[in-house]
Amino acid sequence: MLNAQPFAPLKAWSRITSRSPLVVTFFALLLGLFVGALVIIITTPPVLDSWRGVFHSWGGPGHALKVTFDNVGAAYRSMFTGSIVDPPQFWHSVTTGQNWSLSLTPLSETLTYATPLIIASIGVGIAFQTGIFNIGANGQAVLGGILGATVGSMIHCPTFVHLPLTLIAGIVGGMVAGAVPGILKAYTGAHEVIVTIMFNYVIYAFLIYVLLSTSLQLPNQQNVISRSLDPSAQLAPLFGASTGLRVNWGLFVAAGVVIFAWWFLDRSSLGFDFRVTGANPNAARASGINSRVVVVMVFLVSGGLAGLAGIVQEAGTTHFIDGGFLIGSAGIGFTAITVALLGRNRPMGIVWGSLLFAALGVGGRAMQAATGIPLDLSTVIQSAIVLFVATPVLIKEIFRLRSTGGPALELATKGWGS
Amino acid sequence: MTITAAPEAVVSAVRHKTGRTRVIGTLIGAIGLFIAIVFGFGSLSKARTSVTFQPVNLSAATWHIGTLTVPTQVTCVVLGVILLALGTEVVVRRPLRGVMVRFGFAGVVFLFALILWAGRTFGPSQPLFINFTAILIGSAGVAMVLVYGTLSGVMCERSGVVNIAIEGQFIGGALVGTVLASTTHSFFIAAAGGAVIGGGLGWILAFLALRYMSDQIIVGVVLVTMMSGLSSYLNLQVLSPYPQYNLGNLAPNLPIPVLSKIPILGPVFFNQTGFFYLMMLLVATVSFGLFKTRWGLRVRAVGEHPQAASSVGINVIRVRYINVVLGGAIAGVGGVAFMSVQGQFQPGYTSGLGYVALAGMIFGRWRPSGAVVASVLFGISVYLAQNLQTYQIPVSTEILGMFPYLITIAVVSGLIGRVRPPAADGLPYHRD
Repeated sequence: MLNAQPFAPLKAWSRITSRSPLVVTFFALLLGLFVGALVIIITTPPVLDSWRGVFHSWGGPGHALKVTFDNVGAAYRSMFTGSIVDPPQFWHSVTTGQNWSLSLTPLSETLTYATPLIIASIGVGIAFQTGIFNIGANGQAVLGGILGATVGSMIHCPTFVHLPLTLIAGIVGGMVAGAVPGILKAYTGAHEVIVTIMFNYVIYAFLIYVLLSTSLQLPNQQNVISRSLDPSAQLAPLFGASTGLRVNWGLFVAAGVVIFAWWFLDRSSLGFDFRVTGANPNAARASGINSRVVVVMVFLVSGGLAGLAGIVQEAGTTHFIDGGFLIGSAGIGFTAITVALLGRNRPMGIVWGSLLFAALGVGGRAMQAATGIPLDLSTVIQSAIVLFVATPVLIKEIFRLRSTGGPALELATKGWGS
Repeated sequence: MTITAAPEAVVSAVRHKTGRTRVIGTLIGAIGLFIAIVFGFGSLSKARTSVTFQPVNLSAATWHIGTLTVPTQVTCVVLGVILLALGTEVVVRRPLRGVMVRFGFAGVVFLFALILWAGRTFGPSQPLFINFTAILIGSAGVAMVLVYGTLSGVMCERSGVVNIAIEGQFIGGALVGTVLASTTHSFFIAAAGGAVIGGGLGWILAFLALRYMSDQIIVGVVLVTMMSGLSSYLNLQVLSPYPQYNLGNLAPNLPIPVLSKIPILGPVFFNQTGFFYLMMLLVATVSFGLFKTRWGLRVRAVGEHPQAASSVGINVIRVRYINVVLGGAIAGVGGVAFMSVQGQFQPGYTSGLGYVALAGMIFGRWRPSGAVVASVLFGISVYLAQNLQTYQIPVSTEILGMFPYLITIAVVSGLIGRVRPPAADGLPYHRD
């Protein structure tokens, strides 16, 4: 019986101990949460005090461990209940049939957060597959938001015209912001990493300028805030405004983008050019693909998607923009980079990665509300996860996973000269 | 027949370069024309601006240098004509080197002309004079931080590792430096702490990039994301409840006895904080080390051709580890230096200076001396752009704030193709 099938549980075990991307991601998540726990431990005074007590009494270590677990546990529990489901509340709804909107709020928030993230990450992922690192997604999203806000609040027409027009304006804004680094890279060779980062700052300054000195600013206001989008330009909540659930029709836009990305990368000829260029630029050039055109097109597609993400965030959730639009931990364009890496630049991988990071982001907010631990911890956990995902060999060594083959070395970016 | 045509590639490369030179020359000329016409002829005929040269220190000044009152119109026209001549020179002579330095110079002249133009009429709230020395001192502060960053980049990239995490090392150094300077009141300890955190971040980059051959640019960017998240986390969790950790001490100036009395130059170069002198020392050390010592030769060999370096017995991985950690430490000290001139720590305070430094490193052709030139140009433009509202420029602050970044973009796009990075820059190395 040489070719006998292995015993089923054994097969499952070998899958768990292998280096498949899913397993690596899972262990990276564990390590990321561990890093987050460490950060909580060394910055929370009660926990530190309890560890100081270890030297003073025999009961110290036990007490210290208890305090540590209480604090970290409370943080992660509020993260879970705030982003996925609060079991007692959910059970209450199941048994009594009431308060469903309250029970579903965490999931709704996660989906709301994930919606623009999916779109932006797919944009970044498409660029990565072409060997181009688009760090400018955040700026492109902001410019998309600005243009979208202009069309959405200054033009008045019925929904079936207004909403598409607003979304298209967002896409155009992102494309404009993407075209500049794209053209510079294609025709002067300027490295896209520096140009897009610098462009983020330029666009942010432009945002403040627009919100302070143009008629987009909310009339009779001194604050850095824009007019609100007309109701006809907003993405309405899926379950109506009365439920309070913020998940909106943008989810379908995101679904459309996922399908588009799959079709684009796997079925369209331009997408094929993109992937060939990413896999081997020399082969692409030799087979007659115009690398300059490809670079500009990549930035148009990637920037357009980022701009769409910006306007979807605005039309679906905030309905206006202010000086804090996509800044700091709300910077979906930066999170999108990490999500694209997490999802290995594939549309479905990005969807799961977005849901995970959206849960972390939303959970971070809930954690800040419940325990006072700043939500920026989510950013730390997210970047730790990506660092671990980017080095699968490290995960393999820590958890003693077996190799299942596959490419050992993948470079998504190139040096300065190219 | 011995004469053969130059290979097609060479011809096209030369054409490409000269074509770009012409574009840059035209741009410089256009800036000059703009200054001459809009700022010069466009200003009122009676307009004049006074420029002061501040003495060393106002109470115990040895030499008083009076104010210099210059007519706006004539000065702007002269500046414009100088740039026009510079642009013409570039277009006609097509020099192979120094074109972008001229371009950076044009950018700085433009900002200066903008100040002169804004100071043409004295309104009720406008400053009465332009303090030239203060501008230079402020620019020197920014340039100092940039030099730390560019030196860090030079150290790492000469050995073949792209350190894009300079921004993260700045943030880490600034945070740790602020806390240490506030608790110990010693900037020496703060600098040491900054070096440790920067070196630690460099080690993480080196560890992941060298041992596990991860993508260096991605690891760097993720490290920056992590540090900016961590810094705003610590700001809320630690620095806000305990303000005694974030006093915002400024580093004391250590005037050098005689030299600091020189007008204009004295206060800029010889009445500075210890970080400034350390920066000058580091530039000299790194420059000497890289180009005059055995260690430098090895580093450059590793950065250009690691296989060849390895074949003569150089431990490539070790050289890279050492350089990346040292480079990170330099950037970490740069973060402390940043806080020592800025005061209290705030998240997002470095506002991309680390990336500007990276562009400065490219501008300086991966050389410490070039890094200084680049940092001075970028330093002046960053400082002027941030402080132009003092001079009541009738242009929105936000638009002016874009200037340093736009200049960086312009410089980077004008440069590539003219500069050559170390051949193995960013490529993983593995022994076979």
